[in-house]
Amino acid sequence: MFEQDDETVERVIQHLRRPMAMDPGLDARVMREIARVPSPKRRARLLLPLLAVAAVLATVLIVARPWSWNRSSKTDVQQFVLVAPQAASVALVGDFNDWDPARSPMQTAHGVWATVVRLAPGRYRYAFLVNGVEWRADPSAPAAKDDEFGTPSSVVTVGGRGS
Amino acid sequence: MILAALLLVTQAAAQDPRLERLDPDTRLAVVAVLDSARDVGLPVESIIQRALEGATKGASGARIVAAVRRLALDLGTARAALGNSASAPDLEAAVAALRAGATPEVLAHLRDVRRPPLTMALSVLADLVASGVPADSAAAAVLALAPKARDADLVEFRRAVERDIALGAPPGAATSVRLNAGALDAISNLGAPNGANNPPRRSRP
Repeated sequence: MFEQDDETVERVIQHLRRPMAMDPGLDARVMREIARVPSPKRRARLLLPLLAVAAVLATVLIVARPWSWNRSSKTDVQQFVLVAPQAASVALVGDFNDWDPARSPMQTAHGVWATVVRLAPGRYRYAFLVNGVEWRADPSAPAAKDDEFGTPSSVVTVGGRGS
Repeated sequence: MILAALLLVTQAAAQDPRLERLDPDTRLAVVAVLDSARDVGLPVESIIQRALEGATKGASGARIVAAVRRLALDLGTARAALGNSASAPDLEAAVAALRAGATPEVLAHLRDVRRPPLTMALSVLADLVASGVPADSAAAAVLALAPKARDADLVEFRRAVERDIALGAPPGAATSVRLNAGALDAISNLGAPNGANNPPRRSRP
């Protein structure tokens, strides 16, 4: 029994020691696969741009605070009216349109100038620019008391609760 | 590379293209104010708007810079009174109230008696003073109404006082009479469904 086992082991050893025919393309295939696996340095090189993009996005979020761009999703339609029969043009300018007269030109009907603006909750300063040169406050709205630029302005407040 | 990207983003954020309407020196000074405000977490949109208002109105650079500096300081005072969680609209309205003569203590008291937003209450306070009501009377009236009144109620109160003043009533007296009338109204409405006597009104400035 013991001798038989020795023979068996010897046969196995002989079998294992036989020269083996290798696929000649194996080395090339293995090297190709290795080349495909990113090395730690290459992985870091790939990761760096991703980290940079993440840092830029995080900075944009922190600095620009896009969640505060829109003061609130709730907006209110406000109508602005100025009676100015002699005016050739009237523009509404204020905190809601970057004080840009081109953004909110008013329409007239028999000298009654009107426009409608959608506003988020907040307190806004505004004024009417008549004929491109004359500043007028809104006679139907509270006056802006702290006018630091020497021309009249008004204020409109849009509340966020039951207004 | 990351630092360079951060620097570029910060500069891009600081140099808002809208500020190109200012002359270079004024823009530089305004951007410095904006940077300082951002550094301490203050909202900057109202500061930008104040600079743009000055530019559109043809104010001098010195006047614009003085205005934005003052506004940034007042926003800081308002936040100290209302707390770090105060919203930008609340802070901007608080600045108007402070400039009207309300004290930081009044602002803090209002924060304690009324849940946010406080924008309308603070605005009504400022608007009453602009109508001629003494600052302490306006503050007392708003603080009395603040715990229960809706924004629309506060606006209606302001309009009523303004009407009385336009008809010749002394501003302080108009305020106290309207406040007492409101209290009587509230007492007579006890038991009515919430808001049943306050139908929605169309918005007007």
